[in-house]
Amino acid sequence: MNAQAIRLEGVGKRYAGFTLADIDLDLARGRALGLIGPNGAGKSTLIRIVMGLVRPDAGRVRVLARAMPADEREIKSRVGFVSDDMALYRGKSLRWHMDLVASLNVNWDEARARVLLDRFELSPHRSVRGLSRGQQVKALLLLALARRVELLVLDEPTAGLDPLMRHQLMAILDEAREDGCAILLSSHHGEDVAAVADEAAFLSRGAIVARAPVATFLGEGGSLEAAFLARVS
Amino acid sequence: MRGREVARLVGKDLSLMRLPLAAYVAAALVSVALAAGPPALRSAGLTLALNVLIGLSFHVTLGPVLGEREKKTLAFVMSLPVRPRDAALAKLAAAGAMFALPGGIAAAAIAVALPLGMRPSVWGLVLGAWMAFFSIVLAAAIVTESIGGTIAALTGLIFVAGNVAIQVLPTLAWTGRYVRDVLAGGPSVPLTLGVEIAIVAGAVAATLVVQGRKSSFV
Repeated sequence: MNAQAIRLEGVGKRYAGFTLADIDLDLARGRALGLIGPNGAGKSTLIRIVMGLVRPDAGRVRVLARAMPADEREIKSRVGFVSDDMALYRGKSLRWHMDLVASLNVNWDEARARVLLDRFELSPHRSVRGLSRGQQVKALLLLALARRVELLVLDEPTAGLDPLMRHQLMAILDEAREDGCAILLSSHHGEDVAAVADEAAFLSRGAIVARAPVATFLGEGGSLEAAFLARVS
Repeated sequence: MRGREVARLVGKDLSLMRLPLAAYVAAALVSVALAAGPPALRSAGLTLALNVLIGLSFHVTLGPVLGEREKKTLAFVMSLPVRPRDAALAKLAAAGAMFALPGGIAAAAIAVALPLGMRPSVWGLVLGAWMAFFSIVLAAAIVTESIGGTIAALTGLIFVAGNVAIQVLPTLAWTGRYVRDVLAGGPSVPLTLGVEIAIVAGAVAATLVVQGRKSSFV
């Protein structure tokens, strides 16, 4: 089995006023990588390219040893995606969403879904409209983890969450990683990345300016934010 | 294309629109009853049927098509194992399925309300004309993913079709012959239906081609 969960080679994307330039990035299976950078640095664009939601102008994208977008469907069936720019259908229940996702995924594990419902303290028959933001993120994670995905891609999953909910989510992600799931996580919060990731990559103005084990960055500056600012400034 | 994925996504949209669709079907049935009733009620039946067609078209376009991006549910759907092309095809199929029953009933009300009485050929042409109109607006919605683009397509179509109907057709020598032939169930009926089907097919094909060239899907 190929050991790479994600491999980007020379990936570029140009928008008016923004360029993601010549990105090389890899993530081994079972490992966790955190992306840190300010708004507009290119984190979301990079993550969307990995998920096939945005096509790059240049470069090659391979996810779980398959080419994106050629093998898009197969890749997505093994990858879970959670973003702060994503929502469930408000008028429908979590059970309805579970049935929808199960109908599109041969890997759906109903027994695991029931375990996760208990673990996340979610009611399957309650309308999504009544869920808090944190509960919605948990629901999205449930819909991904019940598919036994091999890679979780998370774009600012803790945005707008209170500290307790953030702590709970980080614990869930840590468990997923210990179960062998690779994780690509973008966050404004350095402590979130430090809690889950083995390595961190700093993005600034569409380029990766540094990448190292989290412990290395923490050893330099005491926090990921401090290490990031030291490099960018 | 994967038929299973498309069918699941069509089912999703039908489930989301279940209650509005029931209301449109009920309103369309009332419009038929009014149109078939006493002459004093026919105009009410006709206007109710037109309201069903217009409301349904807007509802389907603004809800399941444009609403997905605005409500941020599009990112959720596109993160599931579906291809953008299949998602676009599912949107078109779902819109057609949502339109078919209430739209078909409302078209029957219009055909009944016309002075000629109910004729299958007239019903088919009315429904076909609206489907052709609707498919272009729907294609614009899916391709542009914007309310502005959709409204531009809608108003442009109304402007062109309205001027052709009011200004151009009455001046043409063959218009009278065409109308008489349609009413008599002559060859103009299948020919017109063929044109309407070709417009729908063209809109679907254009949508899939443009979707295949897009570089962003959320």
